Amino acid sequence: MKKALLKFFERIEPDKKKSPFLHTLYDGFFTFALTPAHVTKGGVHIRDGMDLKRQMVHVVFALLLLYLFGMYNAGHQHFTALGQYPSLLSGFHLKLIFGIILMLPIFVVTHVVGLGIEFYYAYKKGHGIEEGFLVSGALIPLIMPPDIPLWILALSVAFAVWIGKEAFGGTGMNVLNIALLARVFVFFAYPTYISGDQVWVAGMEKLAAGSPVDYGWIHLNFFNPIFESFGWATYDAAATVADGYSGATPLSLAFHSGWEAVASQYTPSEMWWGTIPGSVGETSKPLIILGALFLIFTKVADWRIMVSMVGGLAVTAMLLNGWGATEFMKVPWYYHFYMGSFLFAMAFMATDPVTATSTPTGKWIYGFLIGVVGMVIRVLNPAYPEGWMLAILFMNVFAPLIDHYVLQANISRRLKRARASA
Amino acid sequence: MEFINVFIKTAFIENLVLSYFLGMCSYLAVSKSVKTAFGLGMAVIFVLGITMPINWLINEYLLSEKGLFGIDLTFLRFILFIATIAAMVQLVEMVVEKFSPALYAALGIFLPLITVNCAILGGSLFMISRELSLSNSVAFGLGGGFGWFLAIIAIAAIREKIRYSNVPPALRGLGMAFILTGLMGIAFMSLMGIDPAAFASK
Repeated sequence: MKKALLKFFERIEPDKKKSPFLHTLYDGFFTFALTPAHVTKGGVHIRDGMDLKRQMVHVVFALLLLYLFGMYNAGHQHFTALGQYPSLLSGFHLKLIFGIILMLPIFVVTHVVGLGIEFYYAYKKGHGIEEGFLVSGALIPLIMPPDIPLWILALSVAFAVWIGKEAFGGTGMNVLNIALLARVFVFFAYPTYISGDQVWVAGMEKLAAGSPVDYGWIHLNFFNPIFESFGWATYDAAATVADGYSGATPLSLAFHSGWEAVASQYTPSEMWWGTIPGSVGETSKPLIILGALFLIFTKVADWRIMVSMVGGLAVTAMLLNGWGATEFMKVPWYYHFYMGSFLFAMAFMATDPVTATSTPTGKWIYGFLIGVVGMVIRVLNPAYPEGWMLAILFMNVFAPLIDHYVLQANISRRLKRARASA
Repeated sequence: MEFINVFIKTAFIENLVLSYFLGMCSYLAVSKSVKTAFGLGMAVIFVLGITMPINWLINEYLLSEKGLFGIDLTFLRFILFIATIAAMVQLVEMVVEKFSPALYAALGIFLPLITVNCAILGGSLFMISRELSLSNSVAFGLGGGFGWFLAIIAIAAIREKIRYSNVPPALRGLGMAFILTGLMGIAFMSLMGIDPAAFASK
């Protein structure tokens, strides 16, 4: 198998001189599939098989389950809004196919735009294709609302890759997290498409009761005949949104009327397993924790940031409990883990090794401050219902500064020790 | 309590650099290393913190109709404010030259140029247009200065970090600083909309 793959790659290798762009492309896909057999010549160097690309592939692995569940949940939320197939596993094929039809264009557009820019710059600079977009491209579809228009998605990805990364010199040089930069672009440029109660459920123009469902050609004329031939249930083009369905996320309920309002709509176990409306990948807590453990175990992500972030959230939330000036402040601190995207941000966003601090002490400070700032934005800022995206970007800006002072403190401490012993 | 509110609001939520884009010239020019940025930031905190109450007193007791002369002299505001600021900057310059010649050399022309730093005059004019009280104007000055200080040392640390990055040639130096300032502005927008006073009253 491996030999056949190698032979195949050898046969299709384009000439480097004659067609440099094709060779760049070839090189990118070759190193994606196989570890190159480069050996260092001269000097004593050790090459680790766990190179940057392998490391990034680990993150993509950790996200796979989230993709599967996210797609299914997008379908599940759609049918919940219609009042059909209320239990999780009924209408399985409908929900799964709906999610795939929804997510595939999002995934493709993200990659075509992001990788297109990346390939172009790699060719321009005469470098191999850099791996950075592997992870960003896998994260971006997961943090977008399922109903996002594709042209907005394309714009935001272009902005993030161009201004956030290529301007800084490519992979590993960016200051702000690329995936979050793409999301924050949508958030500030097209706020109605990414906040409010309407956007977290896909497949209909409006979520008001009685408004019709909006299926495309592929649902009705491609998949419906197939399902019919098996004798399964089909998409119902005449369905309308059920009475009393609002699509409100737990956070927006909690912000307006406290924990009781949340508990009346969603049970804690629903919020824990993730069968609630939200961004595609953020809802299922056990799968995120599984991914986080995988990343900690393979040492791709740093456990210090995760632990200190949980600490920052807990301390701030307890202080706000004590203050208790609004309904939202009175929500018991441990319920903040259930709502919104805290765990997702903790596992996959804050631990990004490029934009986080790089000193161990700095990581404790960085994670803790993300926890604090995120809670402040979530609870105290009436303009934004969720804080982790903005808190991580905020702390990304200060990460080099934290590192600088940690290093300075270390230098002066060692200098003192050296002077004392001399 | 209101003192703290005004301080937090001007330092973080309505940061002079990152949401009003005031005081850009020295912010962009002196942010190449954290050490000099730290020195300049401290100088700005000091100058803002001192000139705001002085300008408040001048405005209230010399220039307004209720003041010493009994006539409306507010058209003299700009010239008198700048004079106070210039005097304070001169003071800072003498102190820095005496106690830290290295910092004095590193800051160069930008230390006297604090005089025409728009963040400082802008601060005084904001103070008038928002009708702050004397104690709040001190908080406004210190908070504005602290926000400016935070912004400049943050960008200086980032610029130290990206010094070895392979930035496209056309963007090296100032171009990158502008892009960075914009991105930092996005990050600071996260706190916009928080109103400390709304919670204090409850």
